[in-house]
Amino acid sequence: MPLAGLASAAPSAQSILAASDAIRNPGKPFALTVTLVEYRNAKQTDSNTLTVYSSADPHSGQFRSLIRFVAPARDANKLMLKNGNDLWFFDPASKASIRLSPQQRLLGQAANGDVVTVNLAKDYQARIATEESIQDGERQTRRCYQLALAAVAPDVTYHHIDMWIDAGNSRPVKARFYTASGQLLKTAYYRRYQAQLGVERPTETVIIDGLDPNWVTVMRYSDYAWRAVPEVWLQRDYLPRFRPE
Amino acid sequence: MRALVLLGLVATVTPAPAVASAAEDEAAALTLADRTAESAEKGRDWRVFAEAALRQSKRQGAGQTLEGGRLSMDLRYDGSFASGWRAVVADRLDMNRGEIAGSGNVNTLKEAYLSWQPATDRIADLGRINARQGVALGYNPTDYFRAGALRSIVSLDPASLRENRLGSVMLRGQTLWAGGSLTALYSPKLADHPNASAYSPDLGATNRQDRWQLALGQTFSDRINPQALISGGAGQSPQFGFDLTGLVNDATVVYGEWSGGRAPSLAAQALALAQDAAFRSRLATGLTYTSPTNVTLTLEYDYNGAGLGAADWNALRRGPAAAYAAYRGFVADRQDLPTRQAVFVYALWQDALFKHLDLTAMVRQDVVDNSRLQWLEARYHFTRIDLALQAQLNNGRPGSNYGALSERRMWQLLARYFF
Repeated sequence: MPLAGLASAAPSAQSILAASDAIRNPGKPFALTVTLVEYRNAKQTDSNTLTVYSSADPHSGQFRSLIRFVAPARDANKLMLKNGNDLWFFDPASKASIRLSPQQRLLGQAANGDVVTVNLAKDYQARIATEESIQDGERQTRRCYQLALAAVAPDVTYHHIDMWIDAGNSRPVKARFYTASGQLLKTAYYRRYQAQLGVERPTETVIIDGLDPNWVTVMRYSDYAWRAVPEVWLQRDYLPRFRPE
Repeated sequence: MRALVLLGLVATVTPAPAVASAAEDEAAALTLADRTAESAEKGRDWRVFAEAALRQSKRQGAGQTLEGGRLSMDLRYDGSFASGWRAVVADRLDMNRGEIAGSGNVNTLKEAYLSWQPATDRIADLGRINARQGVALGYNPTDYFRAGALRSIVSLDPASLRENRLGSVMLRGQTLWAGGSLTALYSPKLADHPNASAYSPDLGATNRQDRWQLALGQTFSDRINPQALISGGAGQSPQFGFDLTGLVNDATVVYGEWSGGRAPSLAAQALALAQDAAFRSRLATGLTYTSPTNVTLTLEYDYNGAGLGAADWNALRRGPAAAYAAYRGFVADRQDLPTRQAVFVYALWQDALFKHLDLTAMVRQDVVDNSRLQWLEARYHFTRIDLALQAQLNNGRPGSNYGALSERRMWQLLARYFF
């Protein structure tokens, strides 16, 4: 369906995207546990547990995150800091802080940008491409806006994104992430909606690799809590100091 | 599997089935997710592992074969026992057996300290602390507390050398603000000499003189992250240090680490020669590039202005063996470079060839005498067990930096179990 007419009647694409961001991401500093389970050809090949502490930058609105590795045992208590493009990895056993480039992945299929909290409306310009009914992650049919997101901030993880957002309640349903050349990198389903920190939020993201659809990562979120994340935490020099509460 | 591949081929030429295929793949992925058990694990204050190693090496010269084994226990505790209080203990016991040098038991009390944090932005620590500085990978001129810190070397991998070392006893205070911090520390003299006995805390290795340090870090943007240091102590001039990291693009980090100050040459210190104090610089600078396939490659240039240039190094190699040995021992104890210049290359390929297999390669090239150390590791991760095979080859003329190492080649098989 051509959307020129629809766009004027419907809420703006950017406000829909911002509303879906607000569903994925709590509005105040918070912590949660992320469990990543990776499958290859339907067999579990990896599992990681992380605790993520996030706080939005008062100026840019983008989230900064401190990530503590919980499991497996070999990685326990290692830390990753993401403050924009200031990315650091810290190993308490060696006290070594190593700067990472955004391309460096620590967690297999999941890009560092997948694990941390991201406000897409801050980094992407949205346009309503269509409105259609699709199957959501629970196999229910949902009427969705399909938004076409184009990166406006430099250094974002994905060049452009197609995102399906429930037209009735702004819940993110599904997304496809692409490279600049248009190659599909991954497909994500947002599902298992539960009341967390006052809002019904997706507590699971299912990521399907764009080249190898038999490569699947299930990211599950639990232990949501409001948690103060002081500004002094969000720098390299605090990494040796960080202690989970 | 073959059916899936065929399905994929068909999908590339016929658009309608492609949509159907994608839908089937996504349905299959969601079914997998449905079956995923709840498995969020809880954090622990402890990390304990045991490691067993078998090792075979060939000596330089006649090529005599040496064999040995090692069993190690490594423990780290980092816990909070009251609000604002934290205790850290890290200890490692290496039980070496066989024909290799350093046989017997060696306990390394890496850290043991208390930390008090009365406010989010103010922290004080007291005890044995691994106060590591520096951003380079192969050589750390600003890591002033590296001297005397190695008590038991189980691998030449820089990651292992960073982890298996003694902290220094110190009182340390730190204040932080958004994007920056200031750290001050004082480390007193506690003993005159190192103590090689198996279970000694070996305070003489790390606390042989009174030392102090100030470190100021300030982030200017998410691309540039510098740190300035000044470090001094009894019987030495203050040394100034500067660390810098920068992001060139999405895949490349550049770094530089410089230290300078008035100091005698390493040779003058090691061989008790006439004092030749002058302003001397040390530098490590390089870049780390990560490929789209997650291969991380580091290239680093290292310079040691207190090390020997080609003429003096050649003279020392041809001179009395005792002087040569004294110099090498002194420099190794300080984790410094014996000659002026070196190149360091480090490559890590995570999930190489198949999942959970990491391949690491390292080359250290002495630019002055053209000797070379090559080190390779293949490491496979199970959930609680790591299996690793390491190989090392040292090339160089007799008496050169790496040609003088007692073993020409070495194999080591490791198994590590995480409790």
